[in-house]
Amino acid sequence: MKISKKIITNLKSGGVDFFLSVPCKLLANMITILENDKDIYYSTIPREEEGMGICAGAYLGNKLPCIMMQNTGIGNSVNSIVSLLQLYQMPVVFLISYRGTPGEPVGAQGGMASVTEDILKTLRIPMLNCNNEEDLDKISTFTNHAKVIESPVAVMLNFNLMNND
Amino acid sequence: MNRFELLNLLQETIQQEFVVCNIGLPSQELYKINDRSNYFYMLGSMGLASSIGLGLSLTINKNVISIDGDGSVLMNMNTFATIGNRAPANYTLLIIDNGSYGSTGDQKTFTNERTSLKDIAAGSGCENVIECSGEETNINLKKALADKDNSYVIISKINSGNVPIKPIPLNAVTIRDRFRKKIGLVSYL
Ligand SMILES: [Mg+2]
Repeated sequence: MKISKKIITNLKSGGVDFFLSVPCKLLANMITILENDKDIYYSTIPREEEGMGICAGAYLGNKLPCIMMQNTGIGNSVNSIVSLLQLYQMPVVFLISYRGTPGEPVGAQGGMASVTEDILKTLRIPMLNCNNEEDLDKISTFTNHAKVIESPVAVMLNFNLMNND
Repeated sequence: MNRFELLNLLQETIQQEFVVCNIGLPSQELYKINDRSNYFYMLGSMGLASSIGLGLSLTINKNVISIDGDGSVLMNMNTFATIGNRAPANYTLLIIDNGSYGSTGDQKTFTNERTSLKDIAAGSGCENVIECSGEETNINLKKALADKDNSYVIISKINSGNVPIKPIPLNAVTIRDRFRKKIGLVSYL
């Protein structure tokens, strides 16, 4: 819970005030925190690509949105990232539970894990890899950077970091 | 009635409203009829008109109308579940259902066969789901906009068919900036 609290606190101090998630067990503690936070909007949604659309609308309404999802969700969302968020230059924070990184018990997660960073690099999306608690201190500067460059950015939460929360 | 005729008729109702308009011919026709800064034209991301409008409606206290199509909304059917559970009263989804993929040459969609968008919306939890003819669309849309307690899904059944038209000559960031300025929340523009 300590790690999850720190992530949400740093996202909020970085300006994030609108949250969506397609749940993951590594995101579960953060979802519990957000469900009880009256200062921000939070909802679960069925699919990540749809969430990119909702985040785009929330940005038009002057929010800094964050979509929480597994890295698999990037695969579901490529066209909406390029032809909506990037085309219109919309800052959105992707908070990604990076399944298939060391510690992961499910072998099948390794496939998407092995291509996730290449996809994000191809999309020119800045990444912040979080492997330990100190890395979380960079989150608020990084989300503010999304606003400045008017671009989606990706915060990657490695398996062991979240599994030890 | 085709889409161009319907969008013309709707002008008396939507001119002052915040509209998110579907990619392709719907946006191009709307632009040709009456270009306005409170119209957000989609230039990509087919399927997400309902979602973009929903996100906006959750963040401002003004009416928001998503103008979607049958082919497009069939690409993003989970949107009905999200709308059914989360749409605020200032949100209206207007689906122009011409039974075809108009922008790609009028190939038939499944709403021409066994699929009912009305039943999908209702089964997903949407209340106030109205299916109507093109001629009845204005009156239903006015009702939806006037109702401050409920969101609506309106499915307007019209004929397929398009008018000759060109791509929208605005770049995406221009569309974005003038739309946000019109909302009045953005101080730096
Ligand atoms: Mg159609």
